[in-house]
Amino acid sequence: MFHDRARYQSTQGYQLAPVRFSRLDAARYVVTNDAGEYVVLSRQELVDFIGHSLPPDRPTYQALKSRHFLFDAHSRVALELLALKYRTRAEQLANFTGLHIFVVTLRCDHSCAYCQVSRQAEGRLEFDMSQEHADRALDFMFRSPSPALKIEFQGGEPLLHFERIRYIIERAKAMNAVHGRALQFVIASNLSRLTDEVLDFCRVHGVLLSTSLDGPEDLHNAQRPVRGGDSHRRTLDAIQRARQALGPDGVSALMTTTHASMERVEDIIDEYVRQGFRSIFLRNLSPYGFAVRQRASRQYGVEAWVEFYKRGLAHILRINAQGYPLQEEFAAILLQKIFSPRGSTYVDLQSPAGIGIGALVYNYDGAVYASDEGRMLAEMGDFSFRLGHLSRDSYESIMTSETLLAHLSDTMPEGAPMCSDCAFLPYCGADPVFHQATKKDAVGHKAFSAFCKKQMGVLRHLIGLLEDDAQARDILMGWR
Amino acid sequence: MVRSDQVTKTDTETQSPFIFRDGVIQTLLDLRVYRLAAIQKSAYRFAEQFTAVFDSPKEERLPIRCIFAPTVTEQDALETLRLFFQELLDQELREQVGDETRALRALIVAQAFSRTDLIRQD
Repeated sequence: MFHDRARYQSTQGYQLAPVRFSRLDAARYVVTNDAGEYVVLSRQELVDFIGHSLPPDRPTYQALKSRHFLFDAHSRVALELLALKYRTRAEQLANFTGLHIFVVTLRCDHSCAYCQVSRQAEGRLEFDMSQEHADRALDFMFRSPSPALKIEFQGGEPLLHFERIRYIIERAKAMNAVHGRALQFVIASNLSRLTDEVLDFCRVHGVLLSTSLDGPEDLHNAQRPVRGGDSHRRTLDAIQRARQALGPDGVSALMTTTHASMERVEDIIDEYVRQGFRSIFLRNLSPYGFAVRQRASRQYGVEAWVEFYKRGLAHILRINAQGYPLQEEFAAILLQKIFSPRGSTYVDLQSPAGIGIGALVYNYDGAVYASDEGRMLAEMGDFSFRLGHLSRDSYESIMTSETLLAHLSDTMPEGAPMCSDCAFLPYCGADPVFHQATKKDAVGHKAFSAFCKKQMGVLRHLIGLLEDDAQARDILMGWR
Repeated sequence: MVRSDQVTKTDTETQSPFIFRDGVIQTLLDLRVYRLAAIQKSAYRFAEQFTAVFDSPKEERLPIRCIFAPTVTEQDALETLRLFFQELLDQELREQVGDETRALRALIVAQAFSRTDLIRQD
């Protein structure tokens, strides 16, 4: 027997669940809860909802109830469900530090104006990582509880010190016979030294390559100067050889947005399509290393970058609509945070921050940093995120150091002014290194924060697309 | 809330009830209408647009001076203040939600972690 719908309607009002809300645009609000679910309401709906005057027969009431924004007499298990979802999102905290970055050398054969790591000349071998430090770093890595460990080789140009890479991978695999973790290896390289020997090693050991492709030939070569002026040709040749040796997904590429890129986002994306890539990460320039020494005319503001990003995303959605699947990685990370019960493991958008517990960096000189950006900041003379040294400190002393713990607790968005009541909090994170670099304060006043403006700008745009553009929504939902 | 007898028309032809003079707009906020926390949070959020200077409340009214950068025009300042008052309404709603759900949020977090162990014991 079926009862009339009225029988299930609340007659005793409802209880608000903890929610946060922010303006989506002039007429609408995004409302979220701690489990990361969201609804979009008009101002009147929001006022009615908070004022307990939303009629139970409204679709909005049902939407809010089904996503645990309100409890009524019929939602008996809602609190338990909300707690379960919240716990699921936080679960990955227990498996901390999945990413371990080994800076095997600071030497590089390129002289990119936007270099964020303050590279050194090719002949300066004193900027190479020693075997002793590599051994110690591997010991640290296997102390991390994470069941999956990714080793990423960074530089400089890491292939200039390939022997150390070979040693670390072989030793990690030998050690893992005891530890039994899921190991993954990535070399972040400009690929200029990609020999057949390197490729063969990568194929045998399942090593992935990540390179830089800044766009079409003229733009890439202007931004990434190398002797001969042919970085673009060399990169494409190397990508081709890497694909032949490692398979089509064996090599990925990243771009960096400079002032010269700002008017050319479509050209950059088209170049990725031309070269057969299925994904692109539209990244802004970070305020570290040589990047901050550029003349003011070559910098750009965050508002300009957000416009660049919106144009780029529109072009990518058009390309998808025409039948070529191309994913924008920043949007994919945010969509994962919006729709996946577990959120995303992307280190730069975590709460608490991903420093130390998301990634550890072992520098060429044995210093241990809480993030890649932390070591970049140190190259500029600010050692705020230096946790210790491989030769002098234990794993315990580094992971419980006041430097790390204070930064983690001080910068948690849940307790930060403006962040604590922001609807986008479940999809955002803390970036203490960025705020330290730009404001000399790891928390940062968010009203002045380019990080906050970027996150809000992109999230508003994404949610707007999900709400208003059915075709875009279909494509974006495939990226989660 | 700004009462009509608390402000005067501007010197200019605009319809705004606020006076913009020497880069400053002064007004009074009724603490019976807006909680102090809501006012402070709104001012914090608008810190890039203007610096808010509060004086001691008088008869439940909080004097506030909004100090703009020298380059800000009267038109832009008045538009910013309009948005500030919208933000005040939002912050007031947030305070309402916070008051009503603070205990529940603590309960949900406690429930979420009551049967878990964030630190592995092995």
